[in-house]
Amino acid sequence: MVLVLALGDLHIPHRAPDLPAKFKSMLVPGKIQHVICTGNLSIKEVHDYLKTLCPDLHITRGEYDEDTRYPETKTLTIGQFKLGLCHGHQVVPWGDLDSLAMLQRQLDVDILVTGHTHQFTAYKHEGGVVINPGSATGAYSNITYDANPSFVLMDIDGLRVVVYVYELIDGEVKVDKIDFKKTTATTHSAH
Amino acid sequence: MVKKKVPDWLNSALWSSSSTTTTSFSYSDTNRFDHHSSTSASPPIDPPLPPAATRDEQQHTPRHHHNYHPRKPDIKEDKHSKSSIVNDNISNNNSNKSFSNNKIDNRKADNTESSAEDISNQALLLTELSRKVINMGELRRIASQGIPDGAGIRSTVWKLLLGYLPPDRSLWSSELAKKRSQYKRFKEELLMNPSEITRRLEKTMGFDNDDAKSESRCVLSRSKITHGEHPLSLGKSSIWNKFFQDSEIIEQIDRDVKRTHPDMHFFSGDSSFAKSNQEALRNILIVFAKLNPGIRYVQGMNEILAPLFYVFKNDPDEEMEACAEADTFFCFVELLSGFRDLFCQQLDNSVVGIRSTIARLSHLLKEHDEELWRHLEVTTKVNPQFYSFRWITLLLTQEFNFTDSIHIWDTLLSDPEGPQETLLRVCCAMLILVRRRLLAGDFTSILKLLQNYPPTNISHLLYVANKLRGQPSH
Repeated sequence: MVLVLALGDLHIPHRAPDLPAKFKSMLVPGKIQHVICTGNLSIKEVHDYLKTLCPDLHITRGEYDEDTRYPETKTLTIGQFKLGLCHGHQVVPWGDLDSLAMLQRQLDVDILVTGHTHQFTAYKHEGGVVINPGSATGAYSNITYDANPSFVLMDIDGLRVVVYVYELIDGEVKVDKIDFKKTTATTHSAH
Repeated sequence: MVKKKVPDWLNSALWSSSSTTTTSFSYSDTNRFDHHSSTSASPPIDPPLPPAATRDEQQHTPRHHHNYHPRKPDIKEDKHSKSSIVNDNISNNNSNKSFSNNKIDNRKADNTESSAEDISNQALLLTELSRKVINMGELRRIASQGIPDGAGIRSTVWKLLLGYLPPDRSLWSSELAKKRSQYKRFKEELLMNPSEITRRLEKTMGFDNDDAKSESRCVLSRSKITHGEHPLSLGKSSIWNKFFQDSEIIEQIDRDVKRTHPDMHFFSGDSSFAKSNQEALRNILIVFAKLNPGIRYVQGMNEILAPLFYVFKNDPDEEMEACAEADTFFCFVELLSGFRDLFCQQLDNSVVGIRSTIARLSHLLKEHDEELWRHLEVTTKVNPQFYSFRWITLLLTQEFNFTDSIHIWDTLLSDPEGPQETLLRVCCAMLILVRRRLLAGDFTSILKLLQNYPPTNISHLLYVANKLRGQPSH
């Protein structure tokens, strides 16, 4: 039972001052084992804050990040699942499932987490699952002003993942979940 | 050290356990014993024949002189002399037999007489145990004199004394099966993590999402969460929240289990045997903590659990040994039920709490040895809490070595009034046995002595404790 927090596109301090208070009250240290962040934090203070939630922190570079040392993509294995991380501004058209699927095949991962669009989405295709946690602060994006703060918490348990989606709608936190299973254990894919 | 004036009769070697004069003492010299016995025979407060002496005349073999064997360098000489004096004066099978018990641990070589005694006690117990319906009063009586170490007798006797096994032998197998399956269910329910719990909840509500293979490419549908349960939930009744709160206790239990008896291979070390034992202790404590939200886990419970598990796991009977964990759990619950109020902080000042228990100990000491009581409470102002807290709450497991504390537990568990009464008497006896050093000491030395209680002859200690059962000795 591994809890993985996925979030990104906070754009602090340029586009948003801080995470919503209701989110902050829920995110306490000691519960989460991994944090993956798609990028655009944008400053070191946010990095430090995420580090207090959990020491295992993975970040990829977004176009507004002030720390230039973050990698463009990252892959990690948690339990039976391989996760891939990328900010998403590199994949054009932004948010397009086919292009993201290409990236997923390239990285050879089961779950690909990208951001940039500031909209929560979760797609499934033959290669795996693509999740976009949205913007944790609800900051405006290149495309739209209208964004609800949202993030994603994944509960990885064996071959099964439960994705809890946390969204702040009209000042209230709404939680949904998505279930999916992997059919085979992590093995070398023949095709 | 300032020696206070102590009346001669109290100053007899009988009461003190400190090894003062030992040089000219020789075991083989029986004259010496006569000399000692004469000095102790003179005072009027010679320990009177206790009613216990009438117990079990079968043990009354006149073998006292056999105890003067030229051996046992590891037992303090004074205690040896005292026990033999006691045997001299009162033919008490108590010290005879438990004497032999202690010795079995140390020397196997020339134990012919004592093992014969031991065997006779063992035979007694075995006959009692082999009856169809066991007479509990009789069993308690025999057990209070100590239980022999071999043949798994102790394991069965403790289970009977703690009420885990019913006195009727024919009910044993059904009772055991029932309790063991109950424990298994507890473990399954309580040791499950929240992911599994939510999965089971969903199954019962029919939210089976196994049809995900239908479309190869689609937007994944979001579904409602059951009962508002999500991992970051801060709700009081949320299983996730409870899980994270429990994880603190589980961490504490883990730490304490790893620290239990680090000197014993049974409990600590890298062997898989030790690890599985630790795992069992851990499971028992976690299940107990979850089933008892009132007291949860308190540091020290692992120490009370350890001897129980050790005895049950070392049962030569394979079936008993395999189910030791389940058996230990129920016996632990039973044992703790008499003491649980001592662990509850809110009850500290109440009639059943730890403070009043300590006050009872103090009162008991005052009844039996007013001078010592006055010295401790009034003159040196040693608050009994400083030393007796650990004695009482941990049932003396920390004051003596492991084998000794198991022997004390034989007596504690066999008391029909419940272990607490006997416990207080044993604590009082512990104080009386070192009275000379206490009376001569000041606050620091007294505390030092009582917080590191010197090794004692357990049989003598239990004998003195038993004597306190009656009227005050002066």
